[in-house]
Order: sequence, then structure tokens, then C-alpha cells
Amino acid sequence: MTRQNINRFALILVGVVAFGLPLVLRSPTYLHILILLYLYAYLTSSWNLVGGFAGVLPLGHSAFIGIGAYASTILSLQYGISPWIGMIVGGILAAIVGILIGFPTFKMRGAYFALATIAFGEGIRVMVENVDNLGPLKINGPRGLQIPPTNIGFGNYMFAGKEPYYYIILVMLLGILAITYFISRSKLGYYLNAGGEEPEAAMALGVNVARAKLIAMAMSSFFTALAGTFYAQFTLYIHPKSVISLDFSFEIAFIALIGGRGSIAGPVLGALLLRPVSDFSRIYFGSTLPGLHLIIFGTVLILVMIFQPRGLQEPLTRAYNRLLDKIFGGTEQKEITHEYS
Amino acid sequence: MNILEIKNLVKDFGGLRAVDTLSLSIEEGQILGLIGPNGAGKSTAFNCIAGVYPPTGGDIYFAGEKINRSKPWNLCKKGLARTFQIVKPFSSKSVLYNVMVGSFVTTDKTSVAKEKALNVLRLLQFEDKKDERAGNLTIAERKRLEIARALATEPKLLLFDEVMAGLRPAEVDEMVQIIQNLRHQGITIFVIEHIMRAIMALSDRIVVIHFGKKIAEGSPQEVASDENVIKAYLGDEYVVS
Ligand SMILES: Nc1ncnc2c1ncn2[C@@H]1O[C@H](COP(=O)(O)OP(=O)(O)OP(=O)(O)O)[C@@H](O)[C@H]1O
Ligand SMILES: [Mg+2]
Repeated sequence: MTRQNINRFALILVGVVAFGLPLVLRSPTYLHILILLYLYAYLTSSWNLVGGFAGVLPLGHSAFIGIGAYASTILSLQYGISPWIGMIVGGILAAIVGILIGFPTFKMRGAYFALATIAFGEGIRVMVENVDNLGPLKINGPRGLQIPPTNIGFGNYMFAGKEPYYYIILVMLLGILAITYFISRSKLGYYLNAGGEEPEAAMALGVNVARAKLIAMAMSSFFTALAGTFYAQFTLYIHPKSVISLDFSFEIAFIALIGGRGSIAGPVLGALLLRPVSDFSRIYFGSTLPGLHLIIFGTVLILVMIFQPRGLQEPLTRAYNRLLDKIFGGTEQKEITHEYS
Repeated sequence: MNILEIKNLVKDFGGLRAVDTLSLSIEEGQILGLIGPNGAGKSTAFNCIAGVYPPTGGDIYFAGEKINRSKPWNLCKKGLARTFQIVKPFSSKSVLYNVMVGSFVTTDKTSVAKEKALNVLRLLQFEDKKDERAGNLTIAERKRLEIARALATEPKLLLFDEVMAGLRPAEVDEMVQIIQNLRHQGITIFVIEHIMRAIMALSDRIVVIHFGKKIAEGSPQEVASDENVIKAYLGDEYVVS
């Protein structure tokens, strides 16, 4: 067996395990935890399109989750439109908002960009909290919107058990990973990386850096909003603090930075590591130490930034390659991890 | 035909006039040298030509077209490429990745970009370093990477800003050879350099600026014996007798 075959085999194995898990794992609690894990891996991968490849640190992505959640929910509650269609509408809306936010902010550097995106995210949340009706649309301010679980069925994006949700978010995750893979190897991926690392040099080499970032932002916002619809249909209740909260934005950034931003595996690794911490600290310390997971994240982030500034995907990739080297005696050419990651 | 023509270019930074009514032109296929003491305004002139700074006054024509307010990436697509005096590699990426960013100007396909980039690396005898992280290169290699990336955009005019600074004598000779090869391929070259030996060997003509103003222009021999030039470099007290 060659090295490439091993990689392919490992990927297929992971896929089979992921698809087969619900057959073995019957506990709804564990399925719920896994669904959230995939959701966060999906959100972080969407974020990664701009936060990883374009080298900026957006901290307001919850705004796009909110746009997706509210768009599909309002359309289905008030107009009887299937959330599947509402999901696309929300995505397009989020892409437009993303471009509008990106236009003035992409010229800012580092912390200024991060702060500006926090301001946008929080601004949108506060606005939604203070609006009951927007023209004909019922938004219901801080009380949020409840989706009555009456019309169960695929067309209504509503299911009795957790398994369908598990498979939907798993397919979404695999989709975004495939998209990330292709973008990272495309002209856009090269342009985003170049523009993020040395904008002046990139521009001199023919890269319209601002344009590349706006394209990435539009895609990132679009895909993030799709997860908003998923979240709404999964929980059947949305309100500004749940879908447009800073918690979402921050946890996404934590997962990306710890897992390794700008890499394909980073967001998945980060979610695998951090989500259990989140869930268990909430289950066991939720009433006594409600913010415990954030303190743990902060500590882990500091350690990772000191010892592995490019995230945990780097040492793990290296270890994996070394393992393969051992198996194959290091004869085959080493994969150049830094070329794409 | 003049591939580049600058008329009365002025660039102010606040109260400082970095480039002062500078006029010059380059004929297609030639090598023009630009020299002058530190802070004379050479890099600033390059940055105006390459679209980094909008000129305060004057006009710049590239292949007959006025390009005063063009953006750097559009100029690059039109065939005007440049290197940076302070090298700016994409440090976390491989040499090949760096060069491919340039190749994408002429193609949208990754496989084609890779092929083109490999050709450039072969031409510059740099292929053995293709998988090296750009951040790990020596200064001489970084300068070479600057050239490789610019070359990958398939330019008509190349602006080289001190690509030999910090190189050892043997490396300088090699670089002179590389630049001469590029010229033989029909690329016009505008080069800033402090190493006199190199600029004398390379240039068809040389323009000398001092405090942003042109003080001499001519063949390397003419410029080397020009009294104003000697004064500018050595100071007024060293007047040649
Ligand atoms: N972005 C800037 N803002 C303000 N002043 C600048 C800027 N860039 C250059 N200058 C000033 O303009 C003058 C010309 O600088 P420039 O870099 O063009 O000189 P140079 O001829 O390239 O010098 P060197 O040989 O040292 O590279 C200097 O006095 C410099 O301090
Ligand atoms: Mg200079």
C-alpha cells in the first residue's frame, strides 16, 4: 500500500465511523453533543475562509448565524416557506451584509478589524432585541421566535429524533471541508493567503487584495448563515441572545486559533478538543462555575500560542507524517505541509 | 518606443519633497540605472511608477498610456512588475507557492500556474529550493525570490530596487548575469543599485538623482566623470581638481 492510499483509507475510515455512529450510539445526549461538535466544526470552517485564509480576525460571525436563523424562521412562520428555501435566502442576505461589513473594515489592521466586527455583531443583536416588528415581519424583540413542532417532515426541516439532524450537519460539514480544500488549492486561495501575509507584495504581484477578501467574506457569511437555519430548526426556538451572541463568535475564534486557522483540519481538530470541554463544564459546573469553559479555553489558547502558534494541527500533522515515515521507512518524498496549510 | 516615460514627477510627504520634477524615459529593451545617495528619492520614484503612491504632480506613461492613478495590481496585469528593497516574502509559504502567486496573473488554473512557476525557478537556477519555506531563506535567496515572483507575472518592464544589496561579490556577479539574461529575453529593466560595479556593467544609461532632483544623465562613463555626481556622493569639499 502506498502512502497516498493510506491517507485515502484513513479518510474513508473516518467517514464510515462518522456515518455509522448513530447506529451504535443510541443516547440522545451523546448525539446532541456530537451534533453541536459538528456544528461548531462547520461554523469554524466557514469562518476559516476569511479568518484563516485572509489573515484577519473577524469576531462578529454570530451576526450571520442570526441572519440565517431569523430569515428562514420568519419566512416559514409567517409565509409558510420551507426552511430549506429560507436557508438560501438567509445565506444570500448574510453574504450581502458580509460585503457591506467587509467593505469599510478590511482596510483596518489587526485589533481594529476585530473590534469593528465585534461592534457590528453586537450592534445587530441590540437592534434585533429592540425591534418587535420590522415592516410586515414579526421579529418579537428579546422574546425571540418559537417554531411549533407540528409539521414534522423533511420538507419542513423538522424531525422527531436527533439522527436526521446528525446526518444533515455531518453532510454540511463534509461539504464545507471539501469547499475549503478546493479553495485552498485555487487561485483565490493563493490570493487570500498572499494578501493576508504581505498585502503590499501581493498587490505588486497582481492581487486585488480587497476584492479577494470581499469574495471570501461573502462566501464565509453565506455558509455561516446556513448553520443559523440549522440551529433554529434543531432547537426550534431562537432569540437574540442565543443566535447572535458573542459567545458564538468567540468560541468559533477559540476553536480556530487552537486547532490551527488557515488549515483545513484545524477547525475540526479544534472542535474535537474544545467542544467536550464546553459541554462537560456546562453539565457538571454549569450552576457553580458557569464561565469555567471560557477560562479553560483562555488558558489553552495562551499555551498553544506560546508553543504552537500555528495551532495544534501542525504538530499533529507532523506526528502523523512521522508515523507514516516509520511504516514506509521514510523512502517516499515527504509531503510539504506548509505549502497548503 | 519608450516603454516608460515620466514627466515632471513630484511626490511630497507632508512638507518633504521626496521626488522633485523628475523626468526620464526608458526605451524598450534597454536597461536604465537609477542611482543617488541614501534618501535621494529613488524608491519613492519606483513606488509612484508602480502605483503604490499617487504622484503629487506630473505624469507617468507606461507603453503610451497614462497610469498616474492606476492600482498596483492593474499595472502588474498590464506588464509592469517590481521588487521591494525591503524584501516581502510570504514567509510561511514555500518558494514555489510564492512564485505561483505571481504566475496566477496569466492563468486561473493551479496546474498551469505551477508549471509556469517551475519554469521561472529553473531559469533562475532556484529549483532546488522550491520546497523551502520562504522564511528560512538567506538574504541572497530572498532577493532571488523577489525576482522570481516578479518574473512569474511575465512582465514587459521590471523595476528592481536594490536586488544586490547585501550580497557577496560572487553573488553580485551572478545577479548581474541573471539581469543580463532577462534583458536578452526582451524585458526592459529599470534598476536602482548602490553597487557601482554592477550598475556600471549593466546599464545602457544612468540617471542620477539627489534630493529628488535629476542631477545627471548619460552613459555610465559620462555619469562617472560628472562633477555634480561626484559632489553629490562625496560632498562639496571633495571637488575634483
Ligand atoms: N512613506 C513615507 N513617508 C514619509 N517620508 C518618506 C516615505 N518614504 C520615503 N520617505 C522619505 O522620502 C525620502 C526619499 O526616500 P527614498 O526611500 O525614496 O530614498 P532612496 O533613494 O530609496 O534611499 P535608499 O538608497 O536609502 O533606499 C527620504 O527622506 C525618506 O525619509
Ligand atoms: Mg530605496
